[in-house]
Formats: sequence, C-alpha cells, structure tokens
Amino acid sequence: MSEMALQALFVLGCSHHETPLEVRERLALTPERIPALLQELKKCPDFSESLALATCNRLEIYAYAKNDNASQSIQKILCNSLGIKNDFLETHAYQLQNLNAIQHAFSLAAGLDSQILGETEILGQMKQALATAQASKNTGALLNRLFEKSFQAAKIARTQTGIDKGHVSIGNIAADLAKRIFGKLETSRVLLIGSGDVGQRTAKALKNRGVRDLTVTNRTSQNAQELAGQLHAGDLPFNQISSTLHEFDIIISSTAAPNLILKQEDLLAANRLRPAQPFFLIDLALPRDFDPNLEQVENCYLYNLDDLATIANENLARRNAECEPAQRLLNNQAWQLWLQLRRRSLVPIVGSENI
Amino acid sequence: MLENLDLRDRNLFLAATIFYGLAACLALYRILRSKPYPRTGLLPLMAIAFLAQTLALNLRGASVGGCPLGNPYEVSQFISWSAVLLYFIIGPACRLRLLGFFTAAFSAILGLSATLLATWDYTYPAGRYGGEPWIELHAALAIFSYGVLTILALVSAMFLLQQHGLKHKHHKGVYALLPSVQQLDTMAWRLLITGTICLSAALIFGALFWLENPDRVPLLKLIMTGVVWLGYLLVVTLRLGKKLVTRYHAYAVISLFIIALLALWPVQTARQPDAAQTQPAQ
Repeated sequence: MSEMALQALFVLGCSHHETPLEVRERLALTPERIPALLQELKKCPDFSESLALATCNRLEIYAYAKNDNASQSIQKILCNSLGIKNDFLETHAYQLQNLNAIQHAFSLAAGLDSQILGETEILGQMKQALATAQASKNTGALLNRLFEKSFQAAKIARTQTGIDKGHVSIGNIAADLAKRIFGKLETSRVLLIGSGDVGQRTAKALKNRGVRDLTVTNRTSQNAQELAGQLHAGDLPFNQISSTLHEFDIIISSTAAPNLILKQEDLLAANRLRPAQPFFLIDLALPRDFDPNLEQVENCYLYNLDDLATIANENLARRNAECEPAQRLLNNQAWQLWLQLRRRSLVPIVGSENI
Repeated sequence: MLENLDLRDRNLFLAATIFYGLAACLALYRILRSKPYPRTGLLPLMAIAFLAQTLALNLRGASVGGCPLGNPYEVSQFISWSAVLLYFIIGPACRLRLLGFFTAAFSAILGLSATLLATWDYTYPAGRYGGEPWIELHAALAIFSYGVLTILALVSAMFLLQQHGLKHKHHKGVYALLPSVQQLDTMAWRLLITGTICLSAALIFGALFWLENPDRVPLLKLIMTGVVWLGYLLVVTLRLGKKLVTRYHAYAVISLFIIALLALWPVQTARQPDAAQTQPAQ
C-alpha cells in the first residue's frame, strides 16, 4: 500500500475540547439515529469504510476515503442528519488524518481525551460504535484494525501507567472507602437520608459494588417512597432514624436541612448496641447533616463532601501526572500501527493527499 | 557444586533471613512506588527462605538430638518458621493482602536480631529433653501457638494502620492495599481463639510433665507462661463480652505478644544450665 492510500484515513468530529455545551447540544446524535446515519454514509461512493462515534461529549466520524470529495460528502451527510448548516459544522469541527487520526483514536480509547481523564466508559462506547458499524457492514479491514488496535493500546496504557488509578467521582470514592471498611459490601446495610443528587449517585455506586440492602428515608414520606421505588430500596419513616441507626452500616445523608440530623448521642447509643461493627457515615450535605464530633466516636468513620472532593482531586492530579508517559506510549503504539499499515497493503490504493 | 556449599545451620538461617529481607524490601519498594503488590515475586522469595529455615532447623535438631528449642536463637528461628508456615496455610484461604509483606518483614527482623545477638545461641547439653514425649509435644504446641500469636499481632498492627488511615483520611500507598478493617478484625478474633487454644493445650501437656517432674521446671518459667496464658484468656473473655473491641483489642494483643516474647528471656534463662555453657554454638 502506498502512502497515498493511508492519507485517506481520517476523522471528522467535534468534542468538549473545542465546543461549548450549547454547540454540542446541537451536534448531539441519539443512538437511535446512528443506524440511519451509517446507512447514508454507506450509500456515499466517496469512501469505502465509515464509523460513527456519538457520546455526550463528542461526535466523530471515522472514514477511509476513496477520493478528494470524501470530506465534503461526510460534512454534507452529517449536516443533513443533524439539521445544521455546513458553516456551523465547519466552525466547530476538527479533521485529523493518517497518523494523527490513529494517535487520536488511541488517546481516545485510553481516556486521555475524555473530560474525566482516564475514564473507561469511552472504551465501551468505542466498542459499541464498532459493533454497530460492523453490523451495518460500514467497516472493513482498515477501520476494524484501527479500532481493535486502539483497544489493545488503551489496555497497555492502562496497565503500564497509572492513568486510570484512583476514582475521581464522589460515588466511586465513597464505595472504595466502604470497601476499605467492610471488605465485601454484599452484607452491608445502607441508609440514604434525603434525596440529593450526589447522595443518590453514591447509593447507586454502592449498589453497583454489591450492596443489596438499601433503605431510603426523607422528611416527606411520599418522596422517600418514590425514591425507594427508583432505587429498588426499602423506605423508612424519617422519625425512626435514631431508633434504627444500629441496624445500618453505611449512612449517606444529602438533605437540605438547616440543622444537624445525626448527633453524637444518637451514634453513641447505636454504637453501644454493636460495639464491634464499624459505622461509615457519608455527609454530602451543605450545611452538614452530621455532627462533626462523630469523627471522635470509636469505630466510626465520617467523611464529608470536602474529604471526598480532596481525594478526587488528589486522584485526578495523579492521573494528570501519568498523562505524559501514557501519551508517549500510545504515540509509539500508533506509529507501529502506521508502519504496519504502510507495509502490509491492508487496503487497495485509492485516496488523495488533500483529504 | 552443591558439595562446595557450606550448609551449616547458622549459614542457612542467615540465608533465610536474607531472603525474608529481600521479600520485605521488594514489597516495600513496590508499595512506596505505587506499583502493584508483587504477590508473585514475594511468594518464591518467602518459599526459598522457608525451605532454608526448615533445613536449618532440621540440621540443628539432629545436632541437639531433639526439637531445637534450647536457646533464644533457636526459639526465635522456630517462632519465625512457625509464623511463615501459618502464613502459607492461611494466606491463600483468607486472602489478606500485605500479610506476606508483614510476615516477611517480621521474620527478617527477628532473624537479623537473632544473628546479631551472638549470646542468644549458647550451647546446651544435647538431648536435654530427649525421650520426654510430653515435653516435646508441649514445646511443639507452644511454638506453634507463638506462630499463631505472631500472625495475630501482625494482623492487629495492620488493623491499626488501616484504621489510622481511614480516620485521618489517608488513601494512598499502603492504606489502599491493606485489607478492610472488618476483615482484619474478624481474622484477629479467629487467630486469637486458635492461638489461645494451642497455648492452653501446650500448657496442659507441659503441666503433665511438671506433675511428674516438679523439680525440673523452674518457678520463673511457670509464672511467666501462666501470666501470658492468663493475659490471652482475659482478652478472649473481654472480647466475648464485647468489652474489648476494635483498636483496644488490637493494642491488647500486640502488648501481650511483646510480653510473650519478653517472657521467653526469663524462661530461657531459667532453662540455661550454667554460665559455662553460654558460648555461641558453632
């Protein structure tokens, strides 16, 4: 395969790096609309392979062009599909070619291009995009190889660097701490006080890590019942918190209450009933719901929003420090793929230097 | 080539100490550099050390004509061996991360101390208790219980470390690798029960020997072993009544273990036949 042919590998897209949220809203593509877009791309005679990747932070089209018109054709199809003008797309979109496109795909798979550095969700989204494109027969040898190699490179980068070490979301950090206290979370009983968004996410993160017994309580019993229904949890009358405290291991609070909900004497009373078992208290409310003095109670571990945010920031800083070595490693992997593609004549010779 | 090696027991004990030290250093280096815990690297090093120690104990046993527990040097090596054996037994089943590191570090420190303190390895008459089944059984059980109590003290130290990390919001390095406080607490309780049962059994068999030979067991040894045993029994009783839990329990068992180790000195002094035999063994 000549260098000419590989100049036809390109990616056109927009992401959170260059475009504000209101622009990304206009460029958003729901999963239901992707098969139709792929069909349109497949019909186009200007490229032989194509793939669409749509996430909440980016929209990208990967393609292998047959001629000079491929880029314009993709822009046209995309504008039609999204109902936007070509100028608007051109203002916000970026194009990468050949080795740069390979490097971009590798960085993307490793989470280096993600809003939350090192996150792994993008890898699943890329796999899904590849599966969808393969199902509609939009991809061929080149894009299949590019994506498979991206997944491998991402795995190498994650294994050999600390790019995904340490969680950066409050829910996952709380779940990590819970595991440091209780080990297996299957038998831990969780009480969620209030219906704050962060509290709900933390409860969900704990459920994802194995918690089976979740109870919800709220000042308004109807809200508690609704939330319990959403989270497949039980509900508890708000005035019974103190009397049933000893039955729970993890207590999350995210209410808008102006006063303390849990005082030291409540916890001391509960602690006397189960002195050998620890309490994990997660106070996600502002103003705080739990008495700060609870920290001094034996066998009780109290974390507030600031504590969790500090851990998140430290983890993020560690990931940032790993960014450069990970990028070097990925660039090296991308260069090897680029050489392989050049050497092995993977695809027929077509394309243009201008693409 | 093997015949050129000087396979004397002290050399083998030293080799075991070096390998335990290497295992501990490897794990510590990986922890400090935030690298994955080197379980696969740690186990072979500990296994080599354990084999060397087993061979050394065997050679020493053959030369003294019985279980080699005649001086503090041998007792330290036997306690270390027993703790590592227990780690190999319970480690895979309980999957307590970092226990290997703590066990290797303890064995290396104990081995190094025993090597540096030359006076510990004094000579004593061969076969002093040879042919006394009760006392051999007593000694073997007592040393095994010391192995259990060593692991108990290490697990309790790990518990205190993890609890300190959680209370003071430390989440990196060793804190992220330690097992959960509840796992450690449960394991400590099980080890306490096992250790106390073994120690009690050892004392029962020792008592049978004492009843038959009251003048051969020094009073100081009786008092010290009784104090250690009563101490552990008290901790078990308080723990059962939930009066001694979490870090207080950990402090208690670590303190008792230090007392138990210190108690070996008067016990061994009481056994030491005379000052003329206190030269290091060759």
